[in-house]
Amino acid sequence: MLRSLKGLVCHPPKLDHASALHTAARGCLSAAGSQGLQAPAERARAVFCTSESDPARHSQQHEGRHYSIPLEEVKVVFPHGLPPRFQQQIKTFNEACLMVRKPALELFTYLQNSNLAHPAVRYLIYGERGTGKTMTLCHVVHYCMRQGWLVLHIPDAHLWVKNCRELLQSSYKKERFDQPLQAAFWLKNFKTSNGHFLQEIKTQRKYVWGKRESTEEGRPLGEVVEQGLARARVACDAVGVVLREVRQQCRPGSFRLLVAVDGVNALWGRTTLRKEDKSPVSPEELTLVYNLRKMMMNNWNGGAIVATLSQTGSLFKPSSAYLPQELLGKEGFDALDPFVPIPVPNYSPMEFESCYSYYLDRKWLQHEKAHTEDGKEELRFLSGSNPRQLERLVAPL
Amino acid sequence: LTPRTEKMAVDQDWSSVYPTAAVFKPASVPLPIRMGYPVKRGVPPPKEGNLELMKIPNFLHLTPPAIKKHCAALRDFCTEWPSALDSDEKCERHFPIEVETVDYVSAGTSIRNPKARVVTLRVKLSNLNLDEHARKKLVKLVGERYCADTDVLTITTDRCPLRRQNYDYGIHLLTVLYHESWKTEKWESEKSEEDMEEYVWENSRSQRNALDTLLRIKASENLSPGTEEELLASEVVKNYRNSVIALKNEGETERNMSQYKECVKKLLNIQA
Repeated sequence: MLRSLKGLVCHPPKLDHASALHTAARGCLSAAGSQGLQAPAERARAVFCTSESDPARHSQQHEGRHYSIPLEEVKVVFPHGLPPRFQQQIKTFNEACLMVRKPALELFTYLQNSNLAHPAVRYLIYGERGTGKTMTLCHVVHYCMRQGWLVLHIPDAHLWVKNCRELLQSSYKKERFDQPLQAAFWLKNFKTSNGHFLQEIKTQRKYVWGKRESTEEGRPLGEVVEQGLARARVACDAVGVVLREVRQQCRPGSFRLLVAVDGVNALWGRTTLRKEDKSPVSPEELTLVYNLRKMMMNNWNGGAIVATLSQTGSLFKPSSAYLPQELLGKEGFDALDPFVPIPVPNYSPMEFESCYSYYLDRKWLQHEKAHTEDGKEELRFLSGSNPRQLERLVAPL
Repeated sequence: LTPRTEKMAVDQDWSSVYPTAAVFKPASVPLPIRMGYPVKRGVPPPKEGNLELMKIPNFLHLTPPAIKKHCAALRDFCTEWPSALDSDEKCERHFPIEVETVDYVSAGTSIRNPKARVVTLRVKLSNLNLDEHARKKLVKLVGERYCADTDVLTITTDRCPLRRQNYDYGIHLLTVLYHESWKTEKWESEKSEEDMEEYVWENSRSQRNALDTLLRIKASENLSPGTEEELLASEVVKNYRNSVIALKNEGETERNMSQYKECVKKLLNIQA
């Protein structure tokens, strides 16, 4: 805590200077021409930072550079999506800076050239621990939001299969179980990020929630979401309805849908939840997981599915497992097949330089030795060019 | 009293110092050996009175010159090796089954040793006349006794009291296994995907998914769907099939994953 306070205290003068220059740069010049007309400090900054804040225009030349997302957009686009350490970093630095990396650029080309009449293509981001899979997913989510897609972002599917206090028996189907807390939390965040779509999409069927409540045909989807938030018992069914409607109405003519799931291996693994008679609950018996699995099938068209494998939250899997087959298991692999695997490696030398200069520029590295070449090499060796390790190492410096 | 080591000649006959397996005698072994855990800032303890050196088995009685003498003594009891069998392949071709028995000699009142009844039979499955089904069934029947790397089936029998009986039992086992693996039982038709030894793409979930996707793509573009056989025989699907089989059977390597990625991209018509 003390660290972050110190960071905040010495920030204000630098921040005003930086943000003034930044807005000036964004306002008048594009990234290509930025190097010529600015002060040497900004020229140094432009090496690892780009002022191109629209992911749609990110390309090969921006590779390795950081781009920042305005904080208001962060609140709307990522109400629940960013990893907690990155959220702390945003609070400390007062800006959200993401590095543009090759896997994300690859995904952008695929998404741009994807044929919306074809069934949804599944892209699976995999890699070792801490190489930036979640951040790549967030980058893609930001890109799709800018392009105007409807984004269904599930931040961590592992949260749905473990540590659940309340497990209600589903009223819709007797053998399934509901999780009202998780469902309500997700509905709230879904409303924040996709508010404008909720008025446009209309329900196609009548849904009966209880003896007295029902939603007629043709009502905006926002009402279903409100219903789910108001009555906790039907929250899971509301989520199911939302997913179903969105899937059916997503045509090439209307909106495009992106399903972004982090930790997709949770849907086919085991759970730590138990029924009252202490027998374990398998994932299919959870309503949320069941509905999400239906979304991951490619029997709908007009969008794409981007998923991340994650060992960090996964249950009953060894910590060295990172390959798709190991984490998904046979069932998961068969369900997702055929998918396009996208590996995310550790930082390349250029990306490492960029990250290091970003930390230097933000005055995050206070240790005297960290500013030297030797210090940089030491950091590179200690972290093994792993983004998470680097971030953890640099935090106390 | 000076130890014997100082009076030993350099070119002495070592097999007379240690003719049999004996305890390590520090005064008889002229080597400056140290063994044990050192104290702090010290060295391992010397060999005099060293319990560690005395506890462990030593092979001082089995030096190469001693072995040569053993072989020379045993030569009188052996017959000539047949001159026609001068290479390993010839031995394997003419005598595919190797039978291993051990004889034990010890100084004592009785010449019997219960360990002498153990018989080990080793056979390479490539020498047996088996078809695919028979081979898989045999491997499943024997379980642990088959080594896939060297393709050798090892049967060890010791359940009978006499060596001859164990040998007969071993041969009987081999015969029964061979004949049983050729027969097909009625319940073998219920073999499911979990029982398969290696991944078979035909009739698997992956094939169904791929066909579904292709049919849907064709339907969305309003092309004629074509029959399933045509789709299966097309180049893209064949490549995809090979990459999935490689992934499942060989595990996941960089090469396999990149190959799979290329095949999926071609299958789903994704342009970069």
